[in-house]
Amino acid sequence: MKEEKTNVSKETQQTTEVRKKRDMNRIIGNTLRYGVTIACVIALAGGALYLIQNGNEPVKDYSIFDPNHPAYTNLRGIFSGFFNFQAWGVIQVAVIALLLTPIMRVVLSLLDFVQERDWLYAAVTSLVLAIIFVNSITSPV
Amino acid sequence: MTVLTFTIILLIGAYLAGLLGSLTGLGGGVVIIPLLTLCLGVDFQYAIGGALVASIATSSGSGSAYVKEGITNIRLGMFLEIATCIGAVIGALVAIYLNNNIIAVIFGFVLILTVINQLRRKEDHENVVGSETARRLKLYGSFPQKDGSVRHYQLTNVGGGFGVMVVAGALSGILGIGSGVLKVLAMDSIMKVPFKVSTTTSNFMMGVTAVTSAVVYLQRGNIEPGIAFPVMVGVLAGALTGARLLKTLDVTVLRKIFCVAIALVAANMIYNGFAGNF
Repeated sequence: MKEEKTNVSKETQQTTEVRKKRDMNRIIGNTLRYGVTIACVIALAGGALYLIQNGNEPVKDYSIFDPNHPAYTNLRGIFSGFFNFQAWGVIQVAVIALLLTPIMRVVLSLLDFVQERDWLYAAVTSLVLAIIFVNSITSPV
Repeated sequence: MTVLTFTIILLIGAYLAGLLGSLTGLGGGVVIIPLLTLCLGVDFQYAIGGALVASIATSSGSGSAYVKEGITNIRLGMFLEIATCIGAVIGALVAIYLNNNIIAVIFGFVLILTVINQLRRKEDHENVVGSETARRLKLYGSFPQKDGSVRHYQLTNVGGGFGVMVVAGALSGILGIGSGVLKVLAMDSIMKVPFKVSTTTSNFMMGVTAVTSAVVYLQRGNIEPGIAFPVMVGVLAGALTGARLLKTLDVTVLRKIFCVAIALVAANMIYNGFAGNF
């Protein structure tokens, strides 16, 4: 009798765990979907602006790489371009939104591991985030 | 060529890249780089930026569907992501010293590997006896199968898989592609992970690896707005169409055509790289 009881409680515990897992998967799935949609909408707006402003001009010479860090290569430049309705600024904001989708996914996984009290994987996930972060500010540009 | 013509060509190309990418399970980068460099004469440096955008778009775009199926092994992906991220950091550093011709040759060899991987017979690794390390790291997993039953699996050779993942990350840091090939190879051939789990987990990892190098390449100026916009929109639209078609279409013939095309592009890249044409 006692054994049966523990079995039942174990089962309910398992179902709650499965349900929690499913909830987390739904949150991650939605974050990816919304993130990608938002990035795509911003890119379309920026692209439309770009084609209206520059559509008939000859295309920039892409055959030689320009190493002189234009304004679209740093956050300040990108956002000032964005708020001044410069097409390149709007498109780069879309790129940043796109870059944030995998990062958001890692952050959500971290929260998930912390909630599960899986400290080993909370540490693993933090390490991954740390590598991405440190690399983005220290790598030579 | 006017901006409008260039954008339309790139939009169509990126759409096809996304479509082929989701039908064959490869990232968009594999098609985007040859399209930009060989067809449109764009510098490899800009093509790398375009490929990074394509890789992340493919990973996040198809990721939302994969997550729902619950096949992806997040622990496995996250653990190996340490290796690919370190690799991507190294790759982005090494890339500074590589000229376009060397990059083209490396890309050509990765393409050849891609073809071999597509033609290889897929094993499903039933009844793998897992290693102690894998068990301690909680890398064993389970996933729901089509008939509703849950399949449990174990895996082995964590060290070997980790090592190949560092190389995969480095290549992705140099080329901007997701290196899905090496990721699947590491998980499938070395660690004996079931094929479905390898592919979906590799897709998850692709986005994270690509973002590690993308944050650097964005600051270096490799991600050009005029290229990023058509690539992002085109690849996403193509991947969406592909995901729909995949349910109704038999892709075996398409895969074979794709392999021949990639092999030709690989030969072209390697030849032009050695000839110093980039």
